[in-house]
Amino acid sequence: MYQYDAIDKEMLADRVAEFREQCQRRLFGELTEDQFKRLRLMNGLYLQLHAYMLRIAIPYGALNSQQLRKLAFIVDTYDKGYGHFTTRTNLQLHWIKLKDAPDILDHLAEVGMHAIQTSGNDIRNITADPHAGATADEVDDPRIWAEAIRQWSTFHPEFSFLPRKFKIAVTASPADRAATKVYDIGLRLHRNDAGELGFEVLVGGGLGRTPYLGPAIRQHLPARHLLSYLQAILRVYNRHGRRDNIWKARIKVLVASLGAEGFAREVEAEWESSNKAQVDLPDLELARIRAAFTPRNFETLPATSAAFEAAKANPAFARFARHNVKPHKIPGYGIIDVSLKKPGETPGDCSGEQMVLLADLAERYSQDEIRVHYEQNLILPHVKLDDVPAIWKALGALDLDTPNRGLVTDIIACPGLDYCTLANARAIPIAQQIALKFADPALAEKVGELGIKISGCINACGHHHVGAIGILGVDKKGEEFYQVTLGGSAEAEASLGQVLGPALPANKVADAVDTLVEVYLRERNDGERFLDTFRRTGLAPFKEAVYASAH
Amino acid sequence: MPALIRWTGQRAEAAEDPFTSVVDEEPIPRGDVIVSLQRFHNEGQRLLAEGRRVGVRIEANEAVEDIAADLPRISVVALVFPKFLTGQAYSSARILRERYGYEGEVRAVGDVLREQARFMVRCGIDTFTPIDGSTPDAWSHVVGRFRHVYQRAADGQAPAFVERQA
Amino acid sequence: MKALTGNLLGDGEAVFLGHDGQWAAKFADAELFEDDDAALAAEAHAKTQITVVVDPYLIDVIPSEHGFAPLSYRERVRALGPTNKPEHGKKTEGGEAIDALLHAHGAARSKGRVELIRRK
Repeated sequence: MYQYDAIDKEMLADRVAEFREQCQRRLFGELTEDQFKRLRLMNGLYLQLHAYMLRIAIPYGALNSQQLRKLAFIVDTYDKGYGHFTTRTNLQLHWIKLKDAPDILDHLAEVGMHAIQTSGNDIRNITADPHAGATADEVDDPRIWAEAIRQWSTFHPEFSFLPRKFKIAVTASPADRAATKVYDIGLRLHRNDAGELGFEVLVGGGLGRTPYLGPAIRQHLPARHLLSYLQAILRVYNRHGRRDNIWKARIKVLVASLGAEGFAREVEAEWESSNKAQVDLPDLELARIRAAFTPRNFETLPATSAAFEAAKANPAFARFARHNVKPHKIPGYGIIDVSLKKPGETPGDCSGEQMVLLADLAERYSQDEIRVHYEQNLILPHVKLDDVPAIWKALGALDLDTPNRGLVTDIIACPGLDYCTLANARAIPIAQQIALKFADPALAEKVGELGIKISGCINACGHHHVGAIGILGVDKKGEEFYQVTLGGSAEAEASLGQVLGPALPANKVADAVDTLVEVYLRERNDGERFLDTFRRTGLAPFKEAVYASAH
Repeated sequence: MPALIRWTGQRAEAAEDPFTSVVDEEPIPRGDVIVSLQRFHNEGQRLLAEGRRVGVRIEANEAVEDIAADLPRISVVALVFPKFLTGQAYSSARILRERYGYEGEVRAVGDVLREQARFMVRCGIDTFTPIDGSTPDAWSHVVGRFRHVYQRAADGQAPAFVERQA
Repeated sequence: MKALTGNLLGDGEAVFLGHDGQWAAKFADAELFEDDDAALAAEAHAKTQITVVVDPYLIDVIPSEHGFAPLSYRERVRALGPTNKPEHGKKTEGGEAIDALLHAHGAARSKGRVELIRRK
């Protein structure tokens, strides 16, 4: 993992001092709320329904045990004993006081963490493949490039007052576990025919009111030119992105209006006019960052672990092994998915106590690494298969052993109207009701891979557009209603969901999902996931079943 | 006129402002003036021939490329911030400094607040007309808040990765 | 009928203007304005208190069994606390006022909040 050096640490210290002073000015009335709001958003501090919310950055989802223990301390000391992992792999604290915020940032800085640019019209947290460094199917470690982008984008003086927020995701695997097609910039690392490392650059993806899958504006960008090319994209956006209408201000609207080719021409022209050498990182710096991510001491183990196989005699463990243990590139190792989706609980929430346990497990069993997945789960990336039974048992003590990765109960849900000022409807109770219907692990397994994604409003923080079943909260005359979509996916073959029919009232949603699953189980061919069956049959059988009884 | 603050390269100081900023509807007074881009296109040659110093005011959605050829004769480029969060001017400033090598005065006008001092200076803006009553000392303080930078901009400060090689 | 709400600057808590002109944590203690002029005057005054309360705005209030409730569903959630963690909200205080909120019928967009969004 990247370790903050003296310069990185001084950056954080200076930032906290700046924010502390800005808070003081606000508390004494020297800054109006309008002036201060922009500044506090640049430090991830929102004012929500019940309190301030602090969004702590977890760059490309990577944490170590020291950091996770610090987060546990913070949630226990300054919040109500828990945090919420988000779809941008950050951690949200929902009960923060403004006057505590500078102290919290001080604590975070001690372990190389911060809340820099997790909100505001700036370049946000860079996300990357959560299996980076552990998966066999990557051409390079995307975190190297995510870290390079993180530094370049931090306190960028030209790009801190963009028309709107800006999100970048990086993948180095054809499997795309970073959803690169639905972000402002998606970067896909590959090698060209000459074996040179480069990026396919996608621009203008996004969810929200007008969802788009980002088109490629460049097939192969030599890796060493990443930052200068990003500067060109950001500058074109900063100068020409719309600022007259908040719903038209993302880069996706600019790309759509110019067309991918037109937009690409603008970027290339800007890029060619610029002095690339002033922006691109020298090889020495890239090597320094790369060295931080070089894998450490993997043991030489047999590919099969006797202890792991023997433990499967326990059917519960066998189920966990089937769904929550993924192949690792090193023989004898595995990647563990830690589910934060126990049916009936709030998806993505994690208590201070759970954080401390996970920190211990990461330190002891996972080369001191733990990752956040954008689907609101955690990952222990470098685990010996021999150790999985012990880890599983430890996870079970604190309800972290739900064997449901990718299944119907592995629901993404935004905080929704229970917490968020933007929401039209609640998302969490809907998730809980659906999950409880499929709480029997055997049933969840029978249903198989099914991504349900719930957003409380059109801002789509719950990623409903790319859910195999997407659920969007809408405000119908002040009551909570939900629009259901089918067939979305953020995978390599990405697709946006199609609307099923008229919005349903809150008390009908879980039953509707039940019906949808029934139709799927009835219609599916061998080996078809829900998504596959839908892609074959289309909406008709699902729509008919859900709306059969007239409301 | 709001007080003018100048960044010397080391610190902020109060500055005299010999320029009169003229809106399109007004007749042009004597002396040094700052006019809109459109007015500069129409009357710029005449004004310069009269021996005055002339500045051009660039609105947020106007392009500094439009005055690129005239830059050697333009004394000040005033970049407008209609609201402090309207950020095109940061790009305009960097283009003036880094692409065109402009060495005249680049001035921030409009909704100019001290909390944006550092962004402005880093992008090459060297004079400011703050509307929040802030003093040159306050501007020096804000600009000086960070010991390091992660990226190059127009101010010439060495980025972290250069410091690391030292 | 209207009430005035906002969030305290220091800790962000959702509060309501009380009978004594102080900001109250409980909706039960909220001053209810029958007179629109009085409501607007209270809102204007609250907007000057920039070191006390953030973005105050008026909400519509309707009668409910056991008392009164905000018309808007969002405002009920603000008054009660998050429904997924009742122990974290104001619901635990119980009483008739909470019952009024929990059992209020119907809901609609609160005009005050719509205006706030429009201003932004």
